[in-house]
Amino acid sequence: MSTAVMSAVAESAEQRAALRSARIRAVIFLLFTLASFSAASAAGAKEAIFSFWIDKIGGKDIILTFPIAVPWLISGAISGAIATLQFLRGASFRWRAAIGIAAPFYAVATVGALLDGTAANLTVLFTGTLNYAAPVAIGSLAGIISERSGVLNIAIEGKFLLGALAGAVASSLFGVAIAGPIAGLLIGAAVGLLLAVLGLRYKVDQIVAGTIINIGALGITNFLYLRVLQRYPDLNQPVNIDPVTIPVLSDIPVIGNIFFNLSPYFYVAVLLVGFFTYAIFKTRWGLRLRASGEQPSAAGTVGVDVIKLRYRSMILAGALAGFAGSYLALSGTGGFGMGISSGRGFIALAALIFGAWHPVYAFGAALIFGFADATQTLLSILGVGLPPQVLLAVPYVMTIIVVAGLIGRVRGPASAGRPYEQG
Amino acid sequence: MTRLRKLLATIRLPAISVLVALLVGAIVIMLSDLEVLGKIPQDPLGAIVLGVQRVYLAYTSLLMGAFGDPAKFGKAIAAGGDAVLWAKAFRPITETLLASVPLMFVGLAVMVSFRTGVFNIGGEGQFMMGALGGTIAAIVLGGAGLPTPITILGVVALGALFGAAWAFIPGILKARVGASEVITTIMLNYIANLFIFFLLVNWELIQREDRTQPISKALDKFVVIPTILPIEALRLHLGFIVALLLAVVVSWFLWRTAKGFELRAAGLNLPAARYAGMGAASSVVIAMLISGAIAGIGGAFEVVGTVKQLTTAISGGVGFTAIAIALVGGTRPSGVVATSLVFGALRNGGALMGLNTGIPIDLLFFIQALVIMFIAAPSLTQRLIRSPFKRRVKEATA
Amino acid sequence: MRLELREITKQFPGVLANDRVSIAVDKGEVLGLLGENGAGKTTLMNILSGLYRPDSGAILIDGTERVFRDPAEAIAAGIGMVHQHFMLVPVFDVIESVALGAEPTTGPLGTFDRATARKQIIELSERYGLAVDPDAKIENLPVGVRQRVEILKALYRKSDILVLDEPSAVLTPQETEELFEIIRGLAKAGTSVIFITHKLNEVLAVADRITVLRRGAVAGNTTPSKADASSLAEMMVGREVQLTVSRGASKPGKPILQVQAMNVLDGRGGVAVHEASFEVHAGEILAVAGVQGNGQTELVEALTGLRPIDSGSLILDGNHLEGGSPRHIADAGVAHIPEDRSRDGMIKGMTVAENYVLNAYHRPPFSTGGRLDLKAIAARATQAVKDFDVRTPSIDTDIASLSGGNQQKVIVAREFGRDVRLVVAAQPTRGLDVGSIEYIHHRIVEQRDAGAAVLIVSTELDEVLALGDRVAVMYEGRIVGILDAKDATRERVGLLMGGAVA
Repeated sequence: MSTAVMSAVAESAEQRAALRSARIRAVIFLLFTLASFSAASAAGAKEAIFSFWIDKIGGKDIILTFPIAVPWLISGAISGAIATLQFLRGASFRWRAAIGIAAPFYAVATVGALLDGTAANLTVLFTGTLNYAAPVAIGSLAGIISERSGVLNIAIEGKFLLGALAGAVASSLFGVAIAGPIAGLLIGAAVGLLLAVLGLRYKVDQIVAGTIINIGALGITNFLYLRVLQRYPDLNQPVNIDPVTIPVLSDIPVIGNIFFNLSPYFYVAVLLVGFFTYAIFKTRWGLRLRASGEQPSAAGTVGVDVIKLRYRSMILAGALAGFAGSYLALSGTGGFGMGISSGRGFIALAALIFGAWHPVYAFGAALIFGFADATQTLLSILGVGLPPQVLLAVPYVMTIIVVAGLIGRVRGPASAGRPYEQG
Repeated sequence: MTRLRKLLATIRLPAISVLVALLVGAIVIMLSDLEVLGKIPQDPLGAIVLGVQRVYLAYTSLLMGAFGDPAKFGKAIAAGGDAVLWAKAFRPITETLLASVPLMFVGLAVMVSFRTGVFNIGGEGQFMMGALGGTIAAIVLGGAGLPTPITILGVVALGALFGAAWAFIPGILKARVGASEVITTIMLNYIANLFIFFLLVNWELIQREDRTQPISKALDKFVVIPTILPIEALRLHLGFIVALLLAVVVSWFLWRTAKGFELRAAGLNLPAARYAGMGAASSVVIAMLISGAIAGIGGAFEVVGTVKQLTTAISGGVGFTAIAIALVGGTRPSGVVATSLVFGALRNGGALMGLNTGIPIDLLFFIQALVIMFIAAPSLTQRLIRSPFKRRVKEATA
Repeated sequence: MRLELREITKQFPGVLANDRVSIAVDKGEVLGLLGENGAGKTTLMNILSGLYRPDSGAILIDGTERVFRDPAEAIAAGIGMVHQHFMLVPVFDVIESVALGAEPTTGPLGTFDRATARKQIIELSERYGLAVDPDAKIENLPVGVRQRVEILKALYRKSDILVLDEPSAVLTPQETEELFEIIRGLAKAGTSVIFITHKLNEVLAVADRITVLRRGAVAGNTTPSKADASSLAEMMVGREVQLTVSRGASKPGKPILQVQAMNVLDGRGGVAVHEASFEVHAGEILAVAGVQGNGQTELVEALTGLRPIDSGSLILDGNHLEGGSPRHIADAGVAHIPEDRSRDGMIKGMTVAENYVLNAYHRPPFSTGGRLDLKAIAARATQAVKDFDVRTPSIDTDIASLSGGNQQKVIVAREFGRDVRLVVAAQPTRGLDVGSIEYIHHRIVEQRDAGAAVLIVSTELDEVLALGDRVAVMYEGRIVGILDAKDATRERVGLLMGGAVA
């Protein structure tokens, strides 16, 4: 057998695997189609009664009534189309984007089905989703930047906690709103630097280093809360960062309430995701960042200082995560509380894996996770539907399915976690 | 003599790490004391004295909480055979031992996986699942009126089974598709927590009667794990003995059996293990099963023997403390046992420290993180200890 | 001279990698730098590319002395490296890979100007005949094209001193021929080329001048017109160390190992061992010679069950062993001294005794019913340490703290400590001191005299000639010749190793 033939065989082995995952995805989409149609027929004539606040929360509302079967049918049709395209196009099909198109219809259908005829106002469901997604998206962005540079980052949770505490205290001390986010940013950057020193200089295993930060942050924030903040409550009276009303746009009925009356963090998150998507994929900085995470020797031999780049990325990632953490204490939650991040740093980690280390997809994952969370809140307020734990487990279960590689290999930066010796 | 020297050499870095971490903890105690801070501008010396006093009070409370109050021992001796006084004197020590029991179990569990090159940080979830298994076994078997020994066996077996099952998932995913066990175990910790929450409020078998909060039935109604000390008031139970026995078994398994040999070989050098004809993938799965089973037994003993009711707070971060314990203990069973005793003393003494001085026990988590850091970056630690001396030497030579 | 390295010396702990090495290349000239693995070629190139600093000596560009503190400075001086292991990011496309580190940008954010880069790359690839699709992803390109991308990388940085490190190692003969065309074209256009290789026929084909390195020092300078393959082979391999192994004549018995038409893949989509057929008889040593990377590693892995056999047969004592696991094959009586001692041969962090039983721990007397018998292990290990003269404080010492020679003795003791039908020894004395080398050779001959079949793979010609009762030569995955010891002269084997004649 000639070498050329051999290499063709070897290539096709990899392609076969990709094709197999593509087929599995097509089958999954097909199952979704069937499930949607059967849900539609099971729903029969049962109606969803949704309402939305028109101009302000608690003001006048508009009531939408439609058969639950309708969104199921639409979802089923879209899934069917996706399944067909997935089958025909194989591995090259952009299925993450396709999920993005189907997701809103599934969201409506699922909520309708779970409510099972109970009337519900959904404005808060959507704002809840978006607000939840803001810190998670920024947290995953932090993870993406550090892992794209080649340093594993499981310490987002710890940075969230420290950012929240620092934000609450600084905001209370200085009495200006902007002090909180800035303090979060600074402490996050400091933690990022510590992680970088441990991992890059002292060659501490990057998982161990992240674990150190997570445990240490939990311990020190709880400690300071109990020892200082409880005794001196003045230090935990931050200036809340309230939702901002965007002129003109917020006056659009229904939509304005949902999208244009949110925490500034959300808009910052959108801007950051947009900015860094551009920076990572379109700029010189991004090119070098990705090179040092994938194949640091390729960057090092053309004169890129990989170690310096990783240091900077870690500090930037820390700053972003600390900034996101400050949100948790400053968004009308009454300041810092023990364990305030409640695992959202790990959900950010989940979002970045689910989003395949891409800021936009990670944002999408954060929205899906946020929707699961907001739905759970809505259902438990109304006292209907699924046990809340099922929805709360969604991010964790989805992440395990993704890393198990069943629906297609997600490939993280190839060299993340490996120390690089320059020269 | 050489053995002693060898022992000293082994415990040098861990001991230094713990001491330096406690020192940093002392600084944190001072800096977080606003009275001390407030005094600095007018009376810096007085502030330092006050700070040192506070630290002294805190750490002496910690020690007394962990090992007992000499005064109480004196009283007991003076009174002779008064069991109540003896119990009072000894209680802190036995509580320290009791606090170290879950740490030993999970520390051993994590150690086994580390030895095989698997970074299992799912001790938390496996411990919780073991606690769930133990709870179910206690209620079902104890409720059926089976004799206590059989019920206890069932508790241990189901705890082991649940823990092992929970650890099997990351194990098989790593062996088959190379999924990072770090990610999967983190996620499974959260899923275990939610799963148990769900069962506690939805499953009549275990849910406490007439309660909507996530709390199980009182387990001492079904079975009581026997205590091992002659004085009733001392709660130290069978789990302590089992933990020590398991440490011996793990040690025996890793260093005296062919399978254990394989696991250690795979953990140190996978290509060489393959070269020597060992199955590398199966090592990962076996290590995770053993690891999960041990953590699960720990959870079962903790819930049935010590806490006597299942809540979602049963683990209390034991999975993370276990990482510190495995690393500080030099990934050896004897080291894990010794470190568990130290950390158990910190945990137990921390309670009295909190009571006496208002310094929250959460400080210990921070100290644990520092200990891991000093152990994991030995060159950093060397620098920290040596740098003052070095500087002086440099000045002298210059 | 466009580039000159003068008296470069570089010392690593325990190794003198470069010993007063001087080389020079003129504008438009191709210098062939020839040497075995470990001759110091790579160190020299790392110094040239700014990754290492020499301990002494000078780098001169156009007669002016230069110091390179990092790769960026070497690149700025016009030096372009094409590394043996390509320095490319698999998920990047050609444009990104070529421009990385020298990106044209626009706008305030430093936006990567793909269009400009694309234009320059197309222009370069047309000018030098380097056909490449600029938008293709690296991981989808065949190795030959990846190499063109590496060359483009250098040209893109306006390098006019091009260093190619073992460029043909991963290429097919056709691709190699194309590469030579490219090199000739570049030289004609004024680029200076340093072509590093261990393949004799390649320097003869493409170089204008040849410098041969041996054990860190220059062994000689020549030109293709003055040299031929055998003189080059001799220069390259040298004969400083006269190895003498006292051994009687072999008394070959019946064949123990029979390999027939064996093909083994290299795992990167190529064939590493091509239709290999040979036999090794009881009581004889078959030494496999060949320059490193000609399929010997894969052959050994296939023989010991570490690498699957694609086709052909592997027969030991009349039993087929294709598809057998490493343990299965070891249990059939194959002793294996692996090429990479620290990676495969031992487990650092385990004791001498544990390493001694590394592949027999599961069998009596070392374990019964899954339980290790520590007493038996200690007794046997103690005996082995004595028998094989392992210098160690105790059998409970971590093997990592032993010297290389003693580590290898532990491995040899382990492999020879049972009934052996076939010995497979790959580079059994690499990196060892003379005393250990003699000792291990003595032990191998002992196995032969006890009736085992022995297969030794070595890139050291001296070792091959000293030990082999028959000598097989591998070249590009094929066994190109099997000679009896009396016919196996240095010259003949050297020629075969260089692929000069088939």
